[in-house]
Amino acid sequence: MRKTLTVAWREFRHTAMTKAFLFGAIVMPILMMGLFIVVAPLLADSNDTPLTGTIIVVAPDDVTKKIQEQITKTPDTLLKITDQLPTSFQTELITSAMKPPTATVDLTIVSASENELETLKNEIRNGTYNGLIVVPESLLENQESEERLEVFIPSNFSPNHTELLTAATSRSVVDVRLQRLGHQPDDIYALVQRPRITATRLSEDGREAKDNEIARRIIPMAFMMLLWIATFTSGNYLLTTTIEEKGNKVMEVLLSAISPMQLLGGKILGQAGVSAVILGMYGSAAFAGLLTFALLDIIPIWHLLLFGFFFIIAYFMVATIMAAVGSAVSELRDAQSLMGPIMLILIIPMVLWPVLAEHPNGIIATVTSFTPPLLPFIMILRITSSTEPVAIWQILLSMGISIGSVLLMVWMCSRIFRIGILMQGKPPSILQLVKWIRQG
Amino acid sequence: MTSAIELHNVSKSFGETKAVRNLNLEIPQGSMCGFLGPNGAGKSTSIRMIMSIIHPDSGSIQVLGKSAINSKDRIGYLPEERGVYRKMKVSKFIEYIGNLKGLRGVSLRRKVNTWLDRVELPDVHSKKCEELSKGMQQKVQFLAAIIHDPELIILDEPFSGLDPVNARVIGSIIHDLHQEGRTILFSTHVLHQAEQICDRIVMIDQGTKVLDGSLISIQDKFNPRSVVIEPVDTDCSIDLFEGVEYISPINKQNQINLRVNKNTNPVDVLQKIVSTVPVFSAQLARPTLDEIFIEQIAMSRGSEAADAARLELHHA
Repeated sequence: MRKTLTVAWREFRHTAMTKAFLFGAIVMPILMMGLFIVVAPLLADSNDTPLTGTIIVVAPDDVTKKIQEQITKTPDTLLKITDQLPTSFQTELITSAMKPPTATVDLTIVSASENELETLKNEIRNGTYNGLIVVPESLLENQESEERLEVFIPSNFSPNHTELLTAATSRSVVDVRLQRLGHQPDDIYALVQRPRITATRLSEDGREAKDNEIARRIIPMAFMMLLWIATFTSGNYLLTTTIEEKGNKVMEVLLSAISPMQLLGGKILGQAGVSAVILGMYGSAAFAGLLTFALLDIIPIWHLLLFGFFFIIAYFMVATIMAAVGSAVSELRDAQSLMGPIMLILIIPMVLWPVLAEHPNGIIATVTSFTPPLLPFIMILRITSSTEPVAIWQILLSMGISIGSVLLMVWMCSRIFRIGILMQGKPPSILQLVKWIRQG
Repeated sequence: MTSAIELHNVSKSFGETKAVRNLNLEIPQGSMCGFLGPNGAGKSTSIRMIMSIIHPDSGSIQVLGKSAINSKDRIGYLPEERGVYRKMKVSKFIEYIGNLKGLRGVSLRRKVNTWLDRVELPDVHSKKCEELSKGMQQKVQFLAAIIHDPELIILDEPFSGLDPVNARVIGSIIHDLHQEGRTILFSTHVLHQAEQICDRIVMIDQGTKVLDGSLISIQDKFNPRSVVIEPVDTDCSIDLFEGVEYISPINKQNQINLRVNKNTNPVDVLQKIVSTVPVFSAQLARPTLDEIFIEQIAMSRGSEAADAARLELHHA
């Protein structure tokens, strides 16, 4: 066991203590965490620079007056973007972060004639005025008019201030249209305001569960991606280090000191450590995100426990495949031809996740969640996406199949590994690998 | 004398190819044994089985009185295919192999530095392996094979790729290790190297043992029935006389070889030639391993195979 651990430690150090790994797996998640913890609250609290000066308006009088009113209102009355978000997103931090900045506005609105347009544009260029708004009369009378609202601003005008002007102007045009037809704009807006909806799933045993869009779509995808990134990143490292050892011809030196099984065990164990670091770092970034947006309660603890179990299963499945392929070939490009068909199968959860997340108890999801090596990825997707829990017997059966599959895959991999690591030259075909398993 | 290595009826095939056939072998402890044969004879396969890197299809192997796998830490092995971790520092690489052999701590580090000094690589311990020349890398690999003071040392072509100076350094260490009582199995297809340093020879061809014994006993067995003289007058001509069937032209070393026929005692021929021709030296010829090997091939596989083997030896 000591020799296996020596190999494992070397494998871990060789992979995890490199600049590329430290940046990809440690620095990136820390930056993400920093983004959630520091930058998001800062964005939420940020105010834009004050908007002051003079805006010239070329428009009918009632529109000019309306623009004066709208422009001094707070932006959240202009754009209720956050009301259109799913309920789960409507936490204080998210909504405040997504609202347009609340700039202090101290503008003087001056009316002007259409004949002075060119002169006024020059005045904007030389900084006398901050903007020019042109509203053709036809826009008020005919909604299908091909004429456009025009806003002229200096080249260094802030995008937020531009948005403020354009939003206030277009809203003013709509308000005036309504008023000219004898309606009260605020009443109309109140009428067309979409009500908030809560969908509740009623189960046969009497329980009620809120249909949470994040729980249904984003969380399962995040869990599966986390599993995928953690296992495939370290699996790829395992593939490349094995090929590297074959390429450096150091394999026989190692085998003079340890058995092929000790070498395989050490390599898989070492990369498991790498995988755990990746999982830990990206998991922490996700945790920081959920904590920041007060969404932590949407993930039950038993989901995390099952995720831990299926992470181990997924890692061993991917690692055994990568170790077997790495031992069978002499160069990385040879590995691609063997990995092609394997990746076509393993990519299925990534391609089908929207469908599987939408129908977590459907026949495709159920069958694939019992099929190695897709099993851990699909099962975690099902477990975390289903507001109606997956049947316990299905989870237990899946766990049983996964343990059996891992044992079988480790056995098959060890037989390929034992023969493959001393082979040089032409890479074997899939059929030859099967032959090695029988011979090994 | 107890055996360091014992193979009983060991066979190994790869698909249709029979690499080793019913090999029986006993290497006495403390011996310096040459394991010889042409390329593809089955030497590396036999060694890999001794190292329990691959397993025999049939037969049994005992190394240092135990099964091969249980003796790994007592064996030092320099494989034919040299390899290092290219990005690893030299001292770390040797320490890593030492760790795998069960060594730990400060004493290992001290030992690594001592050995690096001994192989005349004092300033490389903090260099990466890839920064070393091929010859230097080979010395590092040699150290990795012996760093744990093994009782049995198996060296597969240890001098290939080394310049004469470095070959002498390694050769002297191998000699010292043998003097300390370690058993050394030295595999090569360059037969004259083995002739110079080995006291025992095992020769295999096509996976079968064809020779096994002490160097002297083998040479006696393959007595070429020749007398070699170095005449004082290099222009002298010697006529065939009774009992001599062939007289070679004088060679670059000013030597003439007289081949004696089957019915004559070479000692009689030696006495006769010394009494008739002035010579600086005259002696009964001893067969070289190259000659023994070629004769062995000729006996087992015919003259064509022997010619091919001669060509191969010439290139080696």
